[in-house]
Amino acid sequence: MSLHDLLLAPFSYEFMRRGLLSAVLLGVSGGLLGCVLVLRRLALMGDALSHSLLPGVAVAWLLFGTSTSALFFGGLFAGLLTALGSALLSRLTRVKEDAAFGSLFIVFFGLGVALISKLPTRINLADFLFGNVLGVGASDLRLAGAVSAGTAALFAIFYRSILLETFDPVFHRATGGRGGLVHLGFLTLTVLNLVAAMQTMGIVLALGLFLLPAVSAYLWCDRFFSMLLLSVGLAICGSVVGILVSFHAGLASGASIVLCLGAAFLVSVLFSPRYGALRGLRLGPTRPPGA
Amino acid sequence: MDSDENILRFRGVTVRYGRLTALRDISFETPCGSSTAVLGGNGAGKSTLLRAVLGWQALAGGEVRIGDAHPQHARPRLAYVPQRHAVDWDFPITVRGVVEQGRYPSLGVFQRISPADRELVDRALEELGISELAERQIRRLSGGQQQRVFLARALAQGGDIFLLDEPFAGLDLFGSEELTHILRNWESQGRTVLAAVHDLAIARSCFTRGVLLDTSLVAAGPIADVLTPANIDRAYRHGHCVHGATRSAAGEEAHP
Repeated sequence: MSLHDLLLAPFSYEFMRRGLLSAVLLGVSGGLLGCVLVLRRLALMGDALSHSLLPGVAVAWLLFGTSTSALFFGGLFAGLLTALGSALLSRLTRVKEDAAFGSLFIVFFGLGVALISKLPTRINLADFLFGNVLGVGASDLRLAGAVSAGTAALFAIFYRSILLETFDPVFHRATGGRGGLVHLGFLTLTVLNLVAAMQTMGIVLALGLFLLPAVSAYLWCDRFFSMLLLSVGLAICGSVVGILVSFHAGLASGASIVLCLGAAFLVSVLFSPRYGALRGLRLGPTRPPGA
Repeated sequence: MDSDENILRFRGVTVRYGRLTALRDISFETPCGSSTAVLGGNGAGKSTLLRAVLGWQALAGGEVRIGDAHPQHARPRLAYVPQRHAVDWDFPITVRGVVEQGRYPSLGVFQRISPADRELVDRALEELGISELAERQIRRLSGGQQQRVFLARALAQGGDIFLLDEPFAGLDLFGSEELTHILRNWESQGRTVLAAVHDLAIARSCFTRGVLLDTSLVAAGPIADVLTPANIDRAYRHGHCVHGATRSAAGEEAHP
């Protein structure tokens, strides 16, 4: 197989070009959002959030068919319902936010699976869950472009607020920052990006595109800005390589992108000179106990 | 110095969380340009009192005034230093990065950090003796150095009233002495410091004034008048572990 066959020939197909472009676009916004998810310790919440989109998407499908915008708003509605519902539950009852989130998302996910398995269509549950790059249509691509550009623009404009809210929310508030607004905006952006990534990555795997590049970058960087840049770079590389692997190996696109990003994570976690596991084994833990 | 502008006033301040009363009818005044320790047992309302000065505590009654201004209008004068354990020391940020945050509140959304802002940051780093450490990630500092980074951020904000939440918590002996030295220096330069403190010995050695709380006000004024055995007994008597609290308060008294 020549280099041309390996790297360029796959993109003679329209669906591959679309899939690649969509994954790269979402790599940009996912790489940015992932950094905040990792630093604010919201990684698991993001995972729960992505699962909870399913019933919204299923109902939208049931009512409006394959319309991208219907799927989008269905997912958005379900995601925000979970996020706001668990925030409300933890305020009004004894249940803490993580338990509220966990309970709500699993019920939503169950409902989604039930709905899809009973839907009178030929749609495939596996495509919803794990992604199918073949299904990326022109409207999906437009959605990915809009969401990605919007996310990048908001990060550029509100960079300082995002940094303050991530690093020290109390200080942000003490200096007149709108912490709640930033947080809500961030949740909304996450849901938007998850929905946009659904077609290529699948609901279950979409978060991998956000989380893995960010946590890898976290292991290398001592500055917030460089972490953002590296995370976006890794997300783009992982998407390109992952799409190619999925083409040649006949794998689900979501799975192969996640595996490529997983390899980057593994290398980082082992070999990062300052915060890697090998260094930790050689020199002891990187932080004092209890810190 | 005792012009209206330079007095921090509490008048009948009451704060409730649901049915729990965190502060009950607190009234006192403290002149700006002095350092005041806010003292009391756990749950006595120390942090709540600081939050009230910052203006982000809805009051059930009374008012807080900084000079004649409501705290929200005095915001440029206020600088807040968080508790050490509230900070994520693994965050990818350098010492300079943290201190620079002190300038963020005065920048508009589309405004870049100006040379004048950088100058203020440099001066704050220098005043606290951490210029050499400016490019270090914040985990790789000693406890005292970490504390100084956040004091430098407060300085870079350009205010004159500093609110510190348990600044001595988690510092070793050397770190505590360093911080005492810095805070005394600040007071002599006319800066106002209001700090939640739980160690009575430190309060005595570092602060000139005190406010002793037990959800209600027990005493306020010069530190020696506040920390009398009778007042300490009153403040810690209602605590949930009565004997332990009284004894530890008395114990701290024994070796100042």
